Amino acid sequence: MANSTLKSAALLDQMKLHLSSDAGKGLVKKIGLVYQLNIAPKKIGFEEEVFVVDLKKGEVTKGPYEGKPDATFSFKDEDFIKIATGKMNPQMAFMRGAMKIKGSISAAQKFTPDIFPKPSKL
Amino acid sequence: MGLFDLVTGGAACAVPGSSSSNPLGALANSLLGSSSKTQERLNELPGTAVTAPSTSLYPGGDNQLSTLPGFENEEQELRRPDAQASEFLRGFRGADHGGFSDAWNEIQRPQVGPRDPALRGAPLPLPYAEFDRVYENGFQSQPQPMLDGPPGMVLSNFLHSFMRSSSTGVPFGPAMLPALGLSERDKLCIRDRSSIMARHFFADKSEEFINAQVNTLLHSLDIDSDFRAKGPIPGRYPELEEYWNESQGAIQPVVHNPANGWINEFSQQKSLHNDSEAWVHMFEQQHGANGWASEFQQEQSQMTSMNQINSANMVAMEQTRMLAHTLSQNNNPKFQNSKFLQFVSKMSRGELIVDDNQIKPAGAFSSVDWAEEYQQQHKGAPTSWANEFTQNELSHGTNGWAKEFSAERELHGSVDDQWVNEFSKLNVNDWAEEFGHQVGKGVAGESSDWLDGYNEYLSEQQVVKQRSNSSRGGYVFSDMNPYVGHPEPLKEGHELFRKGLLSEAVLALEAEVMKNPENAEGWRLLGITHAENDDDQQAIASMMRAHEVDPTNLEVLLALGVSHTNELEQAEALKYLYGWLQHHPKYGTLAPPEQSDSLFFADVAGLFNEAARLSPDDADVHIVLGVLYNLSREFDSAIKSFQNALKLKPRDYSLWNKLGATQANSVQSADALLAYQQALDLKPNYVRAWANMGISFANQGLYEDSIRYYVRALAMNPKADNAWQYLRISLSCASRNDMLEACDSRNLDVLQREFPL
Repeated sequence: MANSTLKSAALLDQMKLHLSSDAGKGLVKKIGLVYQLNIAPKKIGFEEEVFVVDLKKGEVTKGPYEGKPDATFSFKDEDFIKIATGKMNPQMAFMRGAMKIKGSISAAQKFTPDIFPKPSKL
Repeated sequence: MGLFDLVTGGAACAVPGSSSSNPLGALANSLLGSSSKTQERLNELPGTAVTAPSTSLYPGGDNQLSTLPGFENEEQELRRPDAQASEFLRGFRGADHGGFSDAWNEIQRPQVGPRDPALRGAPLPLPYAEFDRVYENGFQSQPQPMLDGPPGMVLSNFLHSFMRSSSTGVPFGPAMLPALGLSERDKLCIRDRSSIMARHFFADKSEEFINAQVNTLLHSLDIDSDFRAKGPIPGRYPELEEYWNESQGAIQPVVHNPANGWINEFSQQKSLHNDSEAWVHMFEQQHGANGWASEFQQEQSQMTSMNQINSANMVAMEQTRMLAHTLSQNNNPKFQNSKFLQFVSKMSRGELIVDDNQIKPAGAFSSVDWAEEYQQQHKGAPTSWANEFTQNELSHGTNGWAKEFSAERELHGSVDDQWVNEFSKLNVNDWAEEFGHQVGKGVAGESSDWLDGYNEYLSEQQVVKQRSNSSRGGYVFSDMNPYVGHPEPLKEGHELFRKGLLSEAVLALEAEVMKNPENAEGWRLLGITHAENDDDQQAIASMMRAHEVDPTNLEVLLALGVSHTNELEQAEALKYLYGWLQHHPKYGTLAPPEQSDSLFFADVAGLFNEAARLSPDDADVHIVLGVLYNLSREFDSAIKSFQNALKLKPRDYSLWNKLGATQANSVQSADALLAYQQALDLKPNYVRAWANMGISFANQGLYEDSIRYYVRALAMNPKADNAWQYLRISLSCASRNDMLEACDSRNLDVLQREFPL
């Protein structure tokens, strides 16, 4: 992920570290689902980079999931950051078409801002 | 009057000639100045270039507010609001605090002037000042109360004594004041600003102390501290509220009746069928007191005689059944089809019975058989039947009802679950969402939901607007700035920043850059203040303006690099950090200018490492290197760089915060908290460090703790949007949904009461 210029990549790098902490392990226990994120720099569906947030195994990887993820989300880089930091409500994002969802609805419901660590400011 | 104007944001500051400079500023300067004391720490400033040589950005440690000169011996006499100016001055003439008495004179002048013509400096007839004030205060239907000399002076003295109590740490005593005739609007202004300023003054004190101070002040001024909590949200969306109230009556029955109806029906059914007993009862009602069980028993007793005969058959049947089972295990096809096996299996099924050594078909005794079989299956106890029934009902019946009910509800688009709701009802989302909310809560009259939803939408739109503004480099100014018209806003802002009054400093500096848009220093300081106040968007916007005016300023370049790093904007951050190197007088030669278009992180990091080798004692190089490694998420290297820099600048609070933030981002939260604490010991009003502490607690899952720190940060800067959003997340994670409303309406009073630090 280090070579990606997406903002989301920075956040997902932090997520990767976060999952090794106690709070991160708690997430795996609590949620136990696999999310695939298709993140586009400017427009949904174009030049997407694919990340997998595996809350079953507790990992974050780049590239599509081998198998069927519980839910797949597509958004713009900026919108993902807004959702993960609580600036945008995921429901609002979905309603406005800023987020597209494939897969299980009950899995998608558990995709909330509190699963992502918040970046601290220098 | 001077302080009153400053605190209320009144108009007199803008009246030309009413005073030669901002009186509070001058007073505060002489009160808190002690510039000689802080001079030696000049080299530890976050931005080392300081305009005025006699001042310092650096607050000079945590003891600064309690050891100021000229405070220890005066609080008593001046606590009295009616203290005579002359007495006061006499007390101070001996000591060499000339600045103080000058400031005092300045404040006195507008009030004393009319009565004492000798003292009148710039003779502005008082009525004009009043006229201006009335004019500026807007066109209110009720006439603005005239603040004639004496009440204004009383208020001014009173507010001074409040400020002074900050330096002594002595609790502020209540005082009897004559009626001052403050308007509601003035009161609100005083309340809001005094509570924010108090938090800056008393940053090193406990929350209770601050609240006690502010409450005493407000009480003495006859201002209700719950002002806002009680009334409706003042003026925010008045039309919307009105509209809502209007529509409430008409909509409510429509919205609520279906919901209530379903709920009632459901609970009725539930109470009927909820417990297992109920089904048994109903059954008994339908089928007589003892129902099937007794019927069955009767039948059984009638057949006892036959049973006796049949008991032999029973035994035989049992045995043949076992035999048939054994035989059927045999795989031999010949045997499988044999008549014997057919016979045995028929016997076992009771189709044939042996009666008096004769084999007969079983027709006549079928009823007995039924009873027998039934009893076998149910081991004779009639209650087991009932038990089974209730068990079935437990698993099927009540759940069945619930399922059926929820299925039906789904048909009507009113599911508790908002998500499902949105999926199924894409276009009617408003109605559906709201309805789902109300059904979910199961209570009527949650009328604020609509309003909340709409507010959320509006504020979100506002954020979007602001964002697009700031991405274009537009700076969003605050309205109602009392420093507009101040003769030296830059100096004032500088002082306020040094004292840690960040939100006030922002206002003063905004006044400066409105006056002199080409002042790079004003913009730069404004940017730094915003960054410390935890607002990177505004920090970037003002730093951009500073950069336009002075594209080679190193602090501006570094600050832009840091802020863009915080916003995760890697390409921009890299560009500015590289610019820092390019324009550095010492390392500029390292950076070939043609590279600046296509930057690669590894190249830039290499150049900086070379610079660090050239001069390992330059803390700035280590700082930039630390920021760079943050950008590439090489946190261990970043931590090392910041630690190197801290060895050279151990009292740079912003550096401690950078170290802490890096440690937090690489999940070393315990270390991070220590670093933040260092920063806060050096600068108690460092909003960013407070907010970062909240983040660290939240990332560790300690949501309750994080809430307290977010609230603390917000008390000092209510405009820190990030902290509001994070606070909201922490509240819902800590299951404090009861406080979400206070969070959404940004009601700090309620939040501070609930979560004291």
